[in-house]
Amino acid sequence: MPRFKMVNGERIQFTAAEETARDAEEQAWADGAVARAQADLRAKRNRLLAETDFYALSDVTMSSDMTTYRQNLRDLPAGKDTVAKCTDATWPTKP
Amino acid sequence: MSIVKLNNNGVKNATTFGSITGLGNLKFISRSTASSSSNLSITSGIDSTYKEYIFFFNNIHASTQAHFQVNFSADGGSNYNVTKTTTFFFASHNEAGDSTSLSYQDSHDITGTGAHSLGLSFSSDSDAGGAGYMHLFDPSNTTFVKHFIAVTGGFTDSDYYNTNYTAGYANTTSAVNAVQFSMASGNIDSGTIDLYGVN
Repeated sequence: MPRFKMVNGERIQFTAAEETARDAEEQAWADGAVARAQADLRAKRNRLLAETDFYALSDVTMSSDMTTYRQNLRDLPAGKDTVAKCTDATWPTKP
Repeated sequence: MSIVKLNNNGVKNATTFGSITGLGNLKFISRSTASSSSNLSITSGIDSTYKEYIFFFNNIHASTQAHFQVNFSADGGSNYNVTKTTTFFFASHNEAGDSTSLSYQDSHDITGTGAHSLGLSFSSDSDAGGAGYMHLFDPSNTTFVKHFIAVTGGFTDSDYYNTNYTAGYANTTSAVNAVQFSMASGNIDSGTIDLYGVN
C-alpha cells in the first residue's frame, strides 16, 4: 500500500526511495519493541525501588518482607526477553 | 498627572483609542491537516520574517501507537537530517490513578540526525490523540544554532497520560527552513499542525 506525505497541505505519494527509507525506519521501530518494553519495565521497577530506598538507611531497620520485596523487584527484569513477558510481568506486592 | 482607570464600561463606551505600538502578536502562517500521512512537512513560511515560530499540534491521532517526532531541514526539505542535541523528561499518570512517575528519558535525548521524539507513545485508540506545541527560535540565523522547546501531552494504549517536556538545538549555523513531523511508526491518521510566527 503506497504511503503519502503532506507537504504544505498537498498530499504527495512517496517516491520509491522514500518508501525504502520508511521501510527501514519501520523495521528499526519494530526491532526496538523488546528494548522499549524492557526500558518501561525497568523504569517502573526503579521507581518502585526508589519508593522504598529509605528502608536501607542505616538508622532504619528493614524487615525481611521488605528485603524480599526489593530483591524481587531487582530480579524482575531477568528473563523478560519478549514484549509479552515485559507487559505481563507479575509485580511483587509491597509489604 | 492623574491616573485614568480603564474598566469594562470604559472599554464598552469608548469610541476611539489612541494608537498602541510595540505589542507582540501571533501571525497565522499555515495549517497542515493530516490524512493518513506518513509525515507532515512544512517547507514554506519558515524564514527570516520572524524571530520565533510556534507549531501547535491538535488531536494528533496515530494509526498505531508510536512516538510523535520532529526533524529539521536546512535545504528546504530535501533532507531532514540536521544534527540535534536534546533533553527529554516526562510526567506520567495512569487512568486507574494508582501509578505516577516523573522521569528523565535518556533514551530520547539524542545527539544525532534522526528524528527527535516530541511525545511518547501516542495511542491509536479511537478516542486518543496528542496535543501540544513547539517553539522554534530564530531559524534563519546563520550565526547561532537553532533552539527549540516543546511540550506535548498524549495517552498510551495502556491508558497512561504522559506530559512530555523536551528541548534542544538544531546544531547548524545554516538556516533551518523546513520542519517535518511524523510518527516513529505508522501514519498520522488525522490532526492538524498550525504554524504561527511571533511578531
